[in-house]
Amino acid sequence: MTLVAVGLVLIVLAGVAAAALSRRPAAGELVFRALFGTGCVAGAVPALAVLAGAVVPDVRLPGAVPLGGWVFGLDALSAVFLLAILSVGAACAFYGLAYLARERGHRAVGAAHLLLAFLVSALAAAVIARAAAPFLIAWEVMAVTAYLLVVLEHERPEVRRAGLIYLAVTHAGTLLLFALFATWAGDAGDFSFAALAEHRQLLAGRGGMILVLALVAFGLKAGLVPFHFWLPEAHAAAPSHVSALMSGVVIKMGVYGLLRTVLLFGPPPPWWGWVVLALGACSGVLGVVWALAQHDIKRLLAFHSVENIGIILLGIGAGALGLAYGHPVIAVLGFAGAALHTLNHALFKSLLFLGAGSVIHATGARDIDRFGGVARRMPTTAAAFLVGSAAIVGLPPLNGFVSEWVVFQALLRGGVEGGARDAIQLAGLAAVALALIGGLALACFVKVVGVLYLGTPRDVVATTAREPTARMIRPVVGLAVACVAIGLLPIVVVPPALRVGSLVAGIAPGAVGPEVAAAGPATAFTLGLTAALVAAWAARGAFGRRQPRLEAATWACGYAAVTPRMAYTASSFAAPLLGVFRPVAGVRTARVGDTFATHPTDPVLERVVLPAWHGVRAAAAGLRPIQRGGLQLYLLYVVVVVAAVLLYLVATGRTL
Amino acid sequence: MHNAARLVLLLIVLSDLAVLGTTRLTSCIRGLAAQGVLLGLLPLLLAPQLSVHAVSLGLGTVAVKAVVLPWFLARAIREAAVRREIEPLVGFIGSQLLGALAIALAFAIASRLPLPPTQQSLLVPVSLATLMIGFLVLTTRRKALMQVVGYLILENGIYLFGLTHTESVPFLIELGVLLDVFVGVFIMGIVVFHINREFDSLDSTRLTELSD
Amino acid sequence: MTWEGGAALGILGIAAPAVPGIAVKTKSLLTGRRGAPVLQLYYDLWKLLRKGTVYSRTTTWVFRAGPVVMLASLLVATLFLPLDGRAAPAGFAGDLVVFAGLLALGRFALVLAGLDTGSSFEGLGASREVTIASFAEPTLFLCFIALVLATGEISLGGMLGTPLAVAWPRAGASLSLVGISLFVLLLAENSRVPVDDPATHLELTMIHEVIVLDHSGPDLALILYGGALKLALFGVLVVSVFVPRADLSGGVAVAVLVAGVALVAVAVGVVESIMARLRLNRVPQLLVGAAVLASFGIILQLH
Repeated sequence: MTLVAVGLVLIVLAGVAAAALSRRPAAGELVFRALFGTGCVAGAVPALAVLAGAVVPDVRLPGAVPLGGWVFGLDALSAVFLLAILSVGAACAFYGLAYLARERGHRAVGAAHLLLAFLVSALAAAVIARAAAPFLIAWEVMAVTAYLLVVLEHERPEVRRAGLIYLAVTHAGTLLLFALFATWAGDAGDFSFAALAEHRQLLAGRGGMILVLALVAFGLKAGLVPFHFWLPEAHAAAPSHVSALMSGVVIKMGVYGLLRTVLLFGPPPPWWGWVVLALGACSGVLGVVWALAQHDIKRLLAFHSVENIGIILLGIGAGALGLAYGHPVIAVLGFAGAALHTLNHALFKSLLFLGAGSVIHATGARDIDRFGGVARRMPTTAAAFLVGSAAIVGLPPLNGFVSEWVVFQALLRGGVEGGARDAIQLAGLAAVALALIGGLALACFVKVVGVLYLGTPRDVVATTAREPTARMIRPVVGLAVACVAIGLLPIVVVPPALRVGSLVAGIAPGAVGPEVAAAGPATAFTLGLTAALVAAWAARGAFGRRQPRLEAATWACGYAAVTPRMAYTASSFAAPLLGVFRPVAGVRTARVGDTFATHPTDPVLERVVLPAWHGVRAAAAGLRPIQRGGLQLYLLYVVVVVAAVLLYLVATGRTL
Repeated sequence: MHNAARLVLLLIVLSDLAVLGTTRLTSCIRGLAAQGVLLGLLPLLLAPQLSVHAVSLGLGTVAVKAVVLPWFLARAIREAAVRREIEPLVGFIGSQLLGALAIALAFAIASRLPLPPTQQSLLVPVSLATLMIGFLVLTTRRKALMQVVGYLILENGIYLFGLTHTESVPFLIELGVLLDVFVGVFIMGIVVFHINREFDSLDSTRLTELSD
Repeated sequence: MTWEGGAALGILGIAAPAVPGIAVKTKSLLTGRRGAPVLQLYYDLWKLLRKGTVYSRTTTWVFRAGPVVMLASLLVATLFLPLDGRAAPAGFAGDLVVFAGLLALGRFALVLAGLDTGSSFEGLGASREVTIASFAEPTLFLCFIALVLATGEISLGGMLGTPLAVAWPRAGASLSLVGISLFVLLLAENSRVPVDDPATHLELTMIHEVIVLDHSGPDLALILYGGALKLALFGVLVVSVFVPRADLSGGVAVAVLVAGVALVAVAVGVVESIMARLRLNRVPQLLVGAAVLASFGIILQLH
């Protein structure tokens, strides 16, 4: 535990150093890198040890705070999230040093690095907290620093609007968290997690409310449909490395909260499992349909985060149903898949955001339809982005496939292990939703990679793309290597994931071993597939060396005068699919004269949240006359209320 | 016999789904005719032994549901000169998904209804499914002819449900069921004729013009 | 892996190009023509392998990787099917996800290779291909889930092998529906009528053909062979569901498989000659119809 604490302190110091040394950027960056890197390694070592099976006892710090004591601990669940936080945090921080380097003159870059360091340490503190007070304090610090980072480019009005929406939503979530802890602990007064776990017996009717509050509060943070509407705005407005960190890790705190709730609450009632499963399926499908409609690459990636949160929740739902209906293997597999997908998504989503950030940094444009042929000018970034795309679609042999396969196993076993007529057999149908999500994600990422990186440049902006500096490429390549490594070796990641799943399900760690999840044969498969691909590529290369090779223009059925404007655009690519999903896609078409444009909107934001907000404002405006500022009016209010209270006491016959 | 009856019931559900999925009105009527033939076969397969009563019931059903009614509807199509159904109110994909949902609901409900057990366990679910799919076609299609088809499928579902009680129900009730169909079609035919004459089309959404 | 399984694998690999040939021959005979010989694809592959390649200047390594990845992933996918009717050479829990994932990997690589050329025709084909694939995947999973519920196994070797033969007497009706649904999927995934017309060369009506317009020489040979192998794989799926071969002896099972796949090819030819290609916005409806059939099969199982 001390090692983790040391790591956090080092990270904070790194941020302070970057801010303090902002006049001497070279020295500041060096100190930042050294301290941040050491801090991350210091924090990651105990996490890896715990995932391998070590047990770390809780640490209780002396001192009294209104909401109970300070307790910290590191178990398998915290460890996997800590690993994700530190690895993605390091990549984003190092990337951010180079990304913001040219803004030094007119922006508080040192402060941005300080805030990033605070954000990463707050995230880490939240996952190692074992009592309500440190958890909520870390949660608040995380929310505020994230807000400040989102509005870094505050001169743009859409950035300010996005930041405001984000701030409002995250504080609504925090309020619900307070309500959650208050309801759970009741009159006991001890808000440590161990006490909450023991309190489960005394909950009586409040169990349902606790579960609903947890789902809404953590769903708001995670970006679950219908609580997702802040996500695309905030993640598109923030600088790329901050978006990467937020999409990769900050929204996972919602997932962490849900898993911790299940761990402390015990087996939930079946209805909660079905609700989580249904919400997960809706988030997944709707997230990817909305992503298909986007032109802006960062909003597109943000909607894919909504989709992947849906997949994670499918895993949690499967696990909860397994617990509710008494199938321990399904429970462990479901939670293991959710935890593993959290880690994998953190890795490949941040990879995608950083790759997109490189393109935006080089060209200054964000609309996919203005690019094309960028792969010839930025080959390394393109290759890394391709790896990230294949990972997020869930293609073997990458890491997205491994975690989706574990979630699939949980859902399919639901169809098998339930006896005849057991309701859990219906969970198998959620596998169909997961398959639909996978197919639509493939369509969307083929669109992104094909339109952005491949083909010919559609606009002069695309020709200004060039490969970023080594300092910006290294984090991206590092994340890509991590994705490939995890994908190639499931045998390394599945047993720790099963340990996490067993912990959440409340089952002994050895009961569901890796052979149940078939991790060994899966590793053989991924290695074999990679070998086959490499061998096939080599064979084709060897075969082709002895034959003539010509270069020519694209044939395309012999059309001679191809111009870049004839290339397929992203919106045309997605049009057939969006046509099928028209009622939910939220795409508005605008015809002005002889121009035709499609404009993607978020149906939940436009049709539910904003009208509700306007209704609230109208009602509040109706109440405004009460506060007109006249002293006599206020005195009259005091007199009226006192008279009413006296009348009430007289009428009911009570004494004061 | 048991397996043959089960096969016929499954084919009835498939004919329901075929009517839901096709756009051509002639295909819908052919599906309806096929359903009529299957419904005619069913009492013969369900009866413990072949009796004059069962055979005559089967032949009568086939005559009415598979020959007379489809011929009448085909004639209506020719006179109104319509060929295809336009997009239904929930879309073709939506109506297929709702059809699958209806079948699932029918199977789920049927096992929970307090009915006396029959030897053919698929009969009640299939009748409920046919009923619901008929209702679905009736409410979501725009052409008045498709609504007649939907009504007929609804009646087929009720007929199937009545088959669960053939042993205890006298001949009069079966005649009443058939007469019910006749009356329904007769009224629908008159309505269709009048709509066509009044508006020169059979699009029932234009009936809203009457209220202006 | 038993020797029958190995022999079946070899036969599948060698005889795959004949399967589209049988379909084309059937269609020609039914429409009153003589048609190309059944072994035409072999001659085409031999001719293409001896040619050089022309690469477009807009393409990158993605274009060269497309056919290679597609064929390699298909070959690995073949290992997961129980060709001798009893067990598959490779298999583990949840490998139906692997099968679908390998097909998706091949599709991803090929479509990206098509987009790499920067031509609007390939973009058109790519857009349609991924639209159809988005509906084909859930339908495939519905069929697999029906098999999972029938057999109680979550590995393809179990779902299509011996436990399927055990489940047939009880769940025959449901499995027939699954088989029909898989046949519709075969037509969709392999770009046959009524989803796509493999014989047309009008750019605006092609789907699969147009993605591979710019490939030439050995690359095109790999793609054609991969297409034939995919057709044969789906034929094996359909035959395994309709004809459980676990009770037959090894050699007879393989012979039945070969005959079954040939029969499926004939059926494809028959369907191609009696149906016209569907309008593009009707193809998702067709796939949803197949999905509804498979879900009806699932409902019958849960009853």
